[in-house]
Amino acid sequence: MPHAPIRLDALRSLLAARFPEKSRGRGAPVRTGVAGIDAALGGGLPAGRLTELVSPAASTGGQTVLTRLLVSSRAARQRVALVDAADGFAPEAVPADALRHLVWVRATALADALEAADLLVRDGNYAAVVLDLRGVPERPLRRIPASGWYRLQRAAEGGPAAVLVQTPFGLVPAVPWRLVLGAPRTLADAGLPQEAIAAGIGVEVVRGHESAREQAG
Amino acid sequence: MNCPGYAVLRVGDFSLRSLIRGDAALAGRPVAIIAGEGRLARLAEVSPEAAGAEVGLAAGLAMARRPDIILRTRDPAAEAEANRLLVAAAFTLSPRVELTAPGCCTVDLQGAAPERVRALMDRCLAELARAALPARIGAGATPLLADYAARRSGGVLIVDDAREFLRPLPLGFADPLPAHAAILADWGLATLGELTALPKAEVGLRLGAEGVALWERAAGETRRVLRLAEPARTFVAQWAYEPPVESIEPLFFRLRRFAERLALELRAAGFVAETLALSLSLEDGTEHRREFRLPEPGADVDSWLRVLQTHLESVRTPARVTGVRLGASPARPAQRQDGLFDTGLRDPAAFWENLARLSALVGEGRVGTPAPADTHEPDAFTLQRPPEAVPAVADPPVHGPRGLALRRFRPPRPARVLCSGDRPVGIESEVAAGAVCRARGPWRECGRWWEPGGWEAEIWHVELAAGGLYQLARGAEGWRVEGVLD
Repeated sequence: MPHAPIRLDALRSLLAARFPEKSRGRGAPVRTGVAGIDAALGGGLPAGRLTELVSPAASTGGQTVLTRLLVSSRAARQRVALVDAADGFAPEAVPADALRHLVWVRATALADALEAADLLVRDGNYAAVVLDLRGVPERPLRRIPASGWYRLQRAAEGGPAAVLVQTPFGLVPAVPWRLVLGAPRTLADAGLPQEAIAAGIGVEVVRGHESAREQAG
Repeated sequence: MNCPGYAVLRVGDFSLRSLIRGDAALAGRPVAIIAGEGRLARLAEVSPEAAGAEVGLAAGLAMARRPDIILRTRDPAAEAEANRLLVAAAFTLSPRVELTAPGCCTVDLQGAAPERVRALMDRCLAELARAALPARIGAGATPLLADYAARRSGGVLIVDDAREFLRPLPLGFADPLPAHAAILADWGLATLGELTALPKAEVGLRLGAEGVALWERAAGETRRVLRLAEPARTFVAQWAYEPPVESIEPLFFRLRRFAERLALELRAAGFVAETLALSLSLEDGTEHRREFRLPEPGADVDSWLRVLQTHLESVRTPARVTGVRLGASPARPAQRQDGLFDTGLRDPAAFWENLARLSALVGEGRVGTPAPADTHEPDAFTLQRPPEAVPAVADPPVHGPRGLALRRFRPPRPARVLCSGDRPVGIESEVAAGAVCRARGPWRECGRWWEPGGWEAEIWHVELAAGGLYQLARGAEGWRVEGVLD
C-alpha cells in the first residue's frame, strides 16, 4: 500500500480540522483558559519553557488561573502536575471532574518542592507542570540559587511539558515569560461565574518578547 | 529497608582504565602510567598484568624488571571521554549527580525507592563493565560514608550500620594530616573505630579544629552540598587520530566506544536516537559525511554498530582518516503507539517510577490525584492513584463554580475577629489583619452531629480595606482564617 501514509495524513488533517480540541500536537501551547494570559503568551503556556506568573498581592486571581488551567487542560485531556510548596491547593474549589487528570504533590519543604518539580519536568508524561511557590516565606525563596532555576529551565527545554511557576514576586532569573497579575479582586466578584472572573483577569507582561512568542508557537 | 541517601561510583586507577579503554592495543597487556619526567619518572598506576612492577617504582627499574611493560603518560582526552561515560551511568541512578573528581561521581539517592536501588546499581555497574570501564559503588547515609564504602567495595556495598562498617577501617580513610597521623600512631590508634571511641571534645582539645574535623570524617558524619552536574544536552563524540589511520579496525573500535557512551547518555536523559551522523576527517582536508536514519529509534549499541559497520565496509576514502565524529539526534522513545486521540502515558515506566520517588520525597499519602470526599466537611478529600489514561470528560456541572477560588492555609490560622453585631469588622491574624470593608455570610454548615466528632462552622467571606479576600470560619475553637479567595 504505497499511498497509505498520504491517506493517513489526509485523514489526520481532516480530523484535526473537525476536532481541533482533540488534535493537539506534541509541543503545542497549553491553554490556561484565561483569555488575558493566553493572548499574552500567543495561545497558552509554551511547551518546553518556564513561564512565571507573579501574584503580587492576595486575591489577584492566581488561584483562579490555576483552577481555569485545570478545567481547560481537562477538556483537552492533558495530564497536569501541581507541586504545591505551601500545601494550599483546595480540591473542593475545583469541579470534581477537573481533578481527574491532575497529579498533586503536597510538598512539606521548599527543597522537596524544587526537587519534585525537577523530577516531573523530566518525566515526559505531563503537558503542564505547575510549581506553586505562593505562601512560602520570602527569605527561603530568595535563597534558591540561580543555578537551581537554570537547571529547571534546561530540564524543561526540548521536553513536552509547559512549566508554570507561580510566585509572590519576580523570582526566576532569565525566565522567558514573566506575567504579573493586576489589582486585587473585590467581594463584588463573589457571585460571578468563574469564567466571567477569569475573563476579567488582567496581566502585565514584564518579561517576554516577540521572539520568545514565536519560539513558543 | 531504608534508602541509603547517597551513592558514590568510583573507578579505580582511573587514568589507566581510561587509557586502556581508549586503545585496543593495550587490553590484556602489562601497562603502567608514569608521572614525572626523565629520571624522576615513576609508576603512578599499574595494570594487574604488570606483576613485578608496582606503584612508586622508578620507570627505569620497572623496565628492568618487566621488559615487556608499556609505559604511557595520562591521556586527558581518554579521561574526559571516560568521565562522560561515568556521569551518564550515574544519571541512571538519580537526576542529582555530582562529578566529584575524575573517575568519581556522587549521587543523591534521597527519595529513591529502596527496593529498586540495589537493582539499579547492579545494572549501572553492568553497563559500565560492558563499556570497559569497571567501577565500584558504595552507598551510605552521607556522601562521605558512601565514598568510604565505594573505596572498600568490590562491586556494590550498601552501608546499613555505619558504626560497624567504619570500625575496622584504617585511619588513612579519613585523610589525617601527616602530623596528626604520627600523633595518633603514638597513641596506638590504627582504625577509625578506635579514634571515634574517644570523645570528640577531648580529641578537639588535643588536636584542635582539624582534630574535630578528622573525628567527624572518621565517624562518616561530614555532610556537604553536591555541585550538581547537568545531564548531557548534546549527543556528540569526536576523536583525532595521531597518526592517521587507514584501516577499519581502529575506526570501528573508536565508534564502539562512542556508541557506548552516547547510548548511555541518551537513555539517562530519557531519549533514544532517531538518526546517527558520522563524519570522517581526511588527511587531504576533505570530509566524508553520512547520516543514517535508524530503522527503529533506539539506544541499542549493537544495532547502531551494525548500521555503521555496514556503511564503513563499503567506504573507500581518498586519504587516511585523521578524525572521527559521531552524533546522535535525540527523540522521545515511543513506548506505545501515539494515536490521534491518545491520552495514555507516553512513558509508563518513568511515570510510575517518578511517582514512587515523589512519595518517598514528600511522604506517603501526599502524592496522587485528588478526589472530593462524600461530605461537606471542609477540606475533605482523598488522594488516589492516578489513572493510566486520562478518562473521558464528563458533562459540565449544571451550576459551575462561582467566585474566586479558595487557597487554603493548612492548618487554618487562629484569628481575633472584631464584630459589630454578628458581622466581622476587623481581623487580626498572622496571615491577614486590618479593617473589614465588606463581608458576606454567614453560611452555617455542620455534619456528623449525630455522633461524637461531629463538626459545625459558620463561614464568612470578608474583604479587607487594604485589599484581599479571606474565608473565615467560626467553630468550637473560635475564629480561624481558613484561606484566601484568590
